Amino acid sequence: MSIRVRNLAFDYKDFRLRVADLGFERSRLTAIVGPNGAGKTTFLKCLGSLLPISAGAVMVDDRDLVRFKNRERARRIGYVPQEHGSVFNYAVLDFVLLGRAAHLPVFAMPSADDERLAREALDYVGLRMFAERPIAQLSSGERRLALIARALAQATEILLMDEPTTFLDMKHEVEILDLVRRLAREAGKTVVCTLHNLDMALKYADTMVFMKAGAVLAAGPPDSVLSEALLERVYDIPIRILAVDGRRVLLR
Amino acid sequence: MTKRTGWWTLLAVLLPLLILILSLAVGSYRIPPKDLVHTVAGLISPSRHPDLPPAYKDILLHIRLPRLLLALIVGAALSLSGAALQALFKNPLVNEYILGISSGAGFGAALSLVFLGRGFPPQVAAFGFALLAVFAVLTIAGRSESSVVPLLLTGVVVSAFFQALLALVVYFASPYALQTLFFWLMGNLALATWRDVLLAGPVMLAAAGVLILLRWRLNVLSMSETEARSLGVHVRREKILVILVATLATAAATSVAGIIGWIGLIGPHLVRMAVGAENRRVIPLSAAFGACFLMLADDAARMAVSFEIPVGIFTSILGIPVFVYLLVKAKKVWL
Repeated sequence: MSIRVRNLAFDYKDFRLRVADLGFERSRLTAIVGPNGAGKTTFLKCLGSLLPISAGAVMVDDRDLVRFKNRERARRIGYVPQEHGSVFNYAVLDFVLLGRAAHLPVFAMPSADDERLAREALDYVGLRMFAERPIAQLSSGERRLALIARALAQATEILLMDEPTTFLDMKHEVEILDLVRRLAREAGKTVVCTLHNLDMALKYADTMVFMKAGAVLAAGPPDSVLSEALLERVYDIPIRILAVDGRRVLLR
Repeated sequence: MTKRTGWWTLLAVLLPLLILILSLAVGSYRIPPKDLVHTVAGLISPSRHPDLPPAYKDILLHIRLPRLLLALIVGAALSLSGAALQALFKNPLVNEYILGISSGAGFGAALSLVFLGRGFPPQVAAFGFALLAVFAVLTIAGRSESSVVPLLLTGVVVSAFFQALLALVVYFASPYALQTLFFWLMGNLALATWRDVLLAGPVMLAAAGVLILLRWRLNVLSMSETEARSLGVHVRREKILVILVATLATAAATSVAGIIGWIGLIGPHLVRMAVGAENRRVIPLSAAFGACFLMLADDAARMAVSFEIPVGIFTSILGIPVFVYLLVKAKKVWL
């Protein structure tokens, strides 16, 4: 399943987002990067029809996303928010089970099958032991995993993730991004995530979309997108790209 | 979760029934337990026990039973509406009283009683003005409706407005209507008749049924709007559905029993303390708790002194400290 953006426009107060033409392929991890306020999260939400675009279209399998019913869309596109902030402290399994809402009518109860799928999603992210634990008792990193598990229980081919690693230490950052990459490469999903950490984007992303001030400056393989000239132009500080152990890293 | 739910469901059905039966013995006219059993048995097979005073039958059948049934249904409906609204607004402090629903319904029902008389069902105006009140609150609070303070403040303001209108109606009421109004306003089940049960009961039961069917969906609706949308929810439509149904239940309850506040707060809160926040459990158990609580509160109101105390006063005296406690200890995460 692929996503294609055509002349997308989104306006909110003074903020303008314009993306002329951009595609996201399956089995690939695409990282949307750029400075604060570039519109990364806004763009991600437009891709999932979580914000109403003012012009243009997001096409999923050649069909305009606005023509999808809510549930139909939610069976194709999963969204992982940055943080979970419900006041109600559900058990982790009950929380992950919410992903099944996309497959159930309004008045239905989740079945034993739905519960099995939720448990499988927990297994996949390594939270099996936490199923009965109240979600507020999880660490920040574990809560991110629970959010990802909920999107997996939703069983969508497209996954949109908003900054899956902010506020995590380096170990958890790497673990989550390993998992995210597996979802693209092994499970064959179309994964799009916003990332503020360019080093991690360089390491993990198959495709990089570089944004600034509501516009896409460059898109393509990370190596070709990131140049010292572009980085200095965008961030206003000198940044060097070095090769270390066969990998490229940023020095600022 | 499945295993545990079975026991809770059983309790949710049996406990209110048990309290209903025991409460039949409570009242100013003392009926010995043995005679009570015989009277009930006599109702089932009239040929036996013909020697009991006919007053027993009248008291049980025409005074106590409709009153208890009404207490059961009203308590369940109010508590259930509270639980559903709390999930919907992602805020355990919300209840039908805070959202202005009770005051709107109270004004509507009073208006109907005074100007259209007792012959016209007061539920209609109660529902109309309750809806007006809740949508006024939501419109004024605007986008900030999931944050606590603006919503509570707006609720207070709108409630105050409808209470002023209510005072105006009371001011213009005839002395005869005034007496009825006075008792009813404080939240009272003493005037309960079979007509009330038959008129408002089905409405409350239907609304409760819808909310019970939506119990798992309420978990989904308790997520942020963006999350709920990403999970496939038509947020606006389902939100309006829950508000309509909860308002309908509250308006029907208010129109027969007056303003009985705070059950929608105490019930769900205590249930969450016992079994956690999961609404597949919270919703049915809140209904059961509300039913038991109002029947017991009404028993207490009947037994406490030789004259009757309006039960609404009881529930407020118990409910407001609970609310204050929650307000003080309110944290980001709830149970």
